[in-house]
Amino acid sequence: MSALDITRPDTVPQAVDRRLPRQLWRHPSGRAGLLIGLALLLCAAIGCVWTPHAPDVPNYANALKAPSLAHPFGTDATGRDMLSRVMDGAHRSIGAAVLVLGAVFAIGLVAGTLAGLAGGLTDSVVMRIADIAMTLPGLVLAFAVLGLLGPGFVNLLIALIIADWAWYARLARSLSLDARKRPHVIAARMAGIPRWRIILGHILPGVALRVGLVATLALGGMIGAISGFSFLGLGVQPPAAEWGALLAESRLFFALAPWLLIAPAGFIFLSVLSANLVGNALRDVASPGEA
Amino acid sequence: MTARFTGIQRGGLLVAALLRIGQALLTALAASVIVWALLPLAPGDVARRVLLARGMQDLTPAEIESAREELGLNDPLTIQFLNWLGGVLQGDLGQSFTSQAPVAREIMERLPATVMLLGLALAFSIALSLVFALIATACRDRWPDRAIRLYTQIGAALPTFVFALLALTFLVVGFQLGRVLADPSWSAALIPAFIIGLDRAASWTQLLRAGLLEAMASGYAEVARARGASERRILLRHALPNALLPFLTAIGVSIGALIGGVPLIEAIFTWPGLGAYLLEALSSRNYPVIQAYVLITALSYVTAALLIDLAALVLDPRLRDRPA
Repeated sequence: MSALDITRPDTVPQAVDRRLPRQLWRHPSGRAGLLIGLALLLCAAIGCVWTPHAPDVPNYANALKAPSLAHPFGTDATGRDMLSRVMDGAHRSIGAAVLVLGAVFAIGLVAGTLAGLAGGLTDSVVMRIADIAMTLPGLVLAFAVLGLLGPGFVNLLIALIIADWAWYARLARSLSLDARKRPHVIAARMAGIPRWRIILGHILPGVALRVGLVATLALGGMIGAISGFSFLGLGVQPPAAEWGALLAESRLFFALAPWLLIAPAGFIFLSVLSANLVGNALRDVASPGEA
Repeated sequence: MTARFTGIQRGGLLVAALLRIGQALLTALAASVIVWALLPLAPGDVARRVLLARGMQDLTPAEIESAREELGLNDPLTIQFLNWLGGVLQGDLGQSFTSQAPVAREIMERLPATVMLLGLALAFSIALSLVFALIATACRDRWPDRAIRLYTQIGAALPTFVFALLALTFLVVGFQLGRVLADPSWSAALIPAFIIGLDRAASWTQLLRAGLLEAMASGYAEVARARGASERRILLRHALPNALLPFLTAIGVSIGALIGGVPLIEAIFTWPGLGAYLLEALSSRNYPVIQAYVLITALSYVTAALLIDLAALVLDPRLRDRPA
């Protein structure tokens, strides 16, 4: 799926166990996706401590240079090396997506399992709130919240969390309802294990694993969504580098230096591609019965 | 089997359609509560902002208090909501904080441009995904299929705004295919709409291709093959109608994404529509405009989803059944 909206994987894995990492690695598209993802993470990690040139020191004599060995992706309007800027921005782009998805994972997991297992009034209240949050398309809700809070990086994260948590709550609820009927949970109940230990030890791990897997695969789409907001100037504020903000900066010089777009666009592309490839592999290995 | 044994109540089209319409009305109501709540939740004093918008300066506390009374801000929240809803139903979306003009009028000036662009983009993406998916299925595993699969992988991994930016820079400007700055007209909308359509079509082609391949491997396709029907006939007459329904539902799901992405798309194509209006309003904290934007997009999303579901109800009688 292309990431105009906040996209999520379209399948929830059915059978998840210890063999999954190896199965994904053996699948050709899974391996490609994992390799791309690891390379991006590595790039972000390196970018935190070292970049080929200083990412934020202008050098006007060197402005808008075409790609060369010293500057593989060229230099921007103030002579800063584009590769260094993109590497410096990687931890912001990826980190922001991790923060948002980590938060919606946690909120969704707690609210969803609580609603599913408590039932009754708790269930109705939590799920009606989730329903209301889902009446608007995710991006529109995010724009509305940004309108209230005003632009800014932290506000963008809050807006995306508000726009996205309900979907994960629904997922966690249906998975926990499902888990209650699993043989190992019934067996635990018959063995007289206390309710809270069943929930924490027998239901929650499985639900958390699957919701977590879905949230991980949503990383690519979330990076795309965050870069979209930053592109509009609503997220990461200059001079801090972030892929979407870099696209917005580079765009001003598209007639003089169109190659400046390549690095940030390419990195956004690779993050979504990595998630899509792993998602395809997951559909093949972990959802038997589906074509 | 009869309804008694299957535990399913065979429903009529009318009942199912009315239920779905009722559900859409409820959703619209819930959405309008969110939209209305934006104003009381907004930081700052609304009465003060309204008076400033009217061009009054040096406000005294008494003036603000009388404005609060006049705007009904001292009423209970439910009354405020009902008053607001009543105004909206009569086409009153409030007054812009910056231009002091009625928001409804400003919206109506910009709405045609957005509808034009989105409508054309939607038409392009549906047409393109139909063509691509049919070609890919007909030439399964040969080079046209491979090429289309490569295109769908790339298209699905590029967010629409990134794709649009690259296409605009490298194709349109690079090869001088059209003007970048455009006044909203059908001919000016063609290139942007085609670019958006090409990106959207990527994920829809994947979906439709999967559906078509599944249908081509199904029992009824096998029967048609045994009867001597040509592959082309099986594809167009048997597989396509069956694969269209899930495709339609998928379109319904991603229409929200299309609508939500309007501000980005319009920013890239410098298109003077609703999205550009929203971005202006966001930077000046122009709450009535933000409210109006969210309301209009929410209502068009609810309507689009409703129309698609109604179409599905007409096409597939099984969807009219309810668990008894």
